[in-house]
Amino acid sequence: MSIQEQYRKRAAELLASGEVKIIIGYGAGSTPDRRRALFIRSAEDAGLLQVDQACDANLSGYLVSEGLLSDRKKVGIFLRPEGIRSVNILAAESQLDPLQIVILGFSDENGSLTPLQGSSVSDFSALISTLKERRSTPEEQELVEKIEGMTPEERFAFWQAEFAKCIKCYACRQVCPMCYCKRCIVDNNQPQWVQTSSHTLGNFEWNLVRAFHLSGRCVECGGCDRACPVNIPLRLINRRMAQEVLEAFDYFSGMSHTQEPVLASFKKDDPETFIL
Amino acid sequence: MSEPFEPKIVAFVCTYCTYAGADLAGTSRLKYPPNIRMVRLPCTGRISPMFILKALQKGADGVLVSGCHPGDCHFTQGNYHARRRWTVFRALLNFTGIPLERIRFSWISAAEGVKFAELISSLTEDIRKLGPFDQYKAMIHETEAPVSL
Repeated sequence: MSIQEQYRKRAAELLASGEVKIIIGYGAGSTPDRRRALFIRSAEDAGLLQVDQACDANLSGYLVSEGLLSDRKKVGIFLRPEGIRSVNILAAESQLDPLQIVILGFSDENGSLTPLQGSSVSDFSALISTLKERRSTPEEQELVEKIEGMTPEERFAFWQAEFAKCIKCYACRQVCPMCYCKRCIVDNNQPQWVQTSSHTLGNFEWNLVRAFHLSGRCVECGGCDRACPVNIPLRLINRRMAQEVLEAFDYFSGMSHTQEPVLASFKKDDPETFIL
Repeated sequence: MSEPFEPKIVAFVCTYCTYAGADLAGTSRLKYPPNIRMVRLPCTGRISPMFILKALQKGADGVLVSGCHPGDCHFTQGNYHARRRWTVFRALLNFTGIPLERIRFSWISAAEGVKFAELISSLTEDIRKLGPFDQYKAMIHETEAPVSL
């Protein structure tokens, strides 16, 4: 039985037995190679679910939709390992109760999809620990190192050229499961922290703020990278930030639903070599 | 003859330690350059990275962030939280090419008037040597240019 058949059957069972009130999964998208989020409430619709390589979006952001979890009923959701980490972070930040989430996990192992055993976030802790060990893909790491090797002026020019393309559509924010603030800092106009005009200055500030707010929270699902209409390598900044919290504080985001957020906790002996 | 470049430096300081340290420097009649603009805040934990970006946006050539030594925070742990935030934000600034010599961090207690005066002197000299932050200023000028249609 293919993984798709297997998961359609499982979804139908979950809905028919009333264990979950809704399943958040993937359905056909606007083109054959794209998938879009699908929300099904009855077992008959399980046949619409698709599970294949094209299912790349991290759906965990839908879990914090207003009112979805307020009736205390369970919700089933299709997640890759990164998505499971996002759920851990959302739980650690008190945005949801992990007991309400039934996970239908799958991962992409060398080009073939495999189902993940387990249904609640705590079932995946061993898997996430292995992710901490083998994080980076060599090409991305190479690019990060290339940028690190530049002089500050070259780096500034590099990012200035990248951010000049930004049109502040905020697609990176909308797609990110971690950007759940009801009112984003850039939507504030008193004080106006980030310049809203279509100049590079505001773009630069926006991208810095976005990256900072995601440090120690990003799970590198790549959603922002795929969503960006002008192809700014947002993933590179996120990767650099993840690397920084790992090196400085031995922190890997989304390890468990009880892990304290890195910037909301501290140790008395944190490194401080740069402070005079 | 051209005048020497006078950098603009914004200092975000906590009221309990560094501001008191600056006050001590003043009452002790210690000399330090007038290039510094101090912004007094309740605690270093109150200093958002947005403040640093705002200072740069308004044309600062350098930024100093300073507060109580670890363990001395009036609010017990504000500076510990701030320290983690700075570590991460500093890495981000470095990665995007904002020279770290322009964004400095320090612990200065209420008793360290001398340290304050010396730090401001050395900081001003360092930034004077670096010159104005031209790359950032070019971005600011762009926003001020008239619209071309």
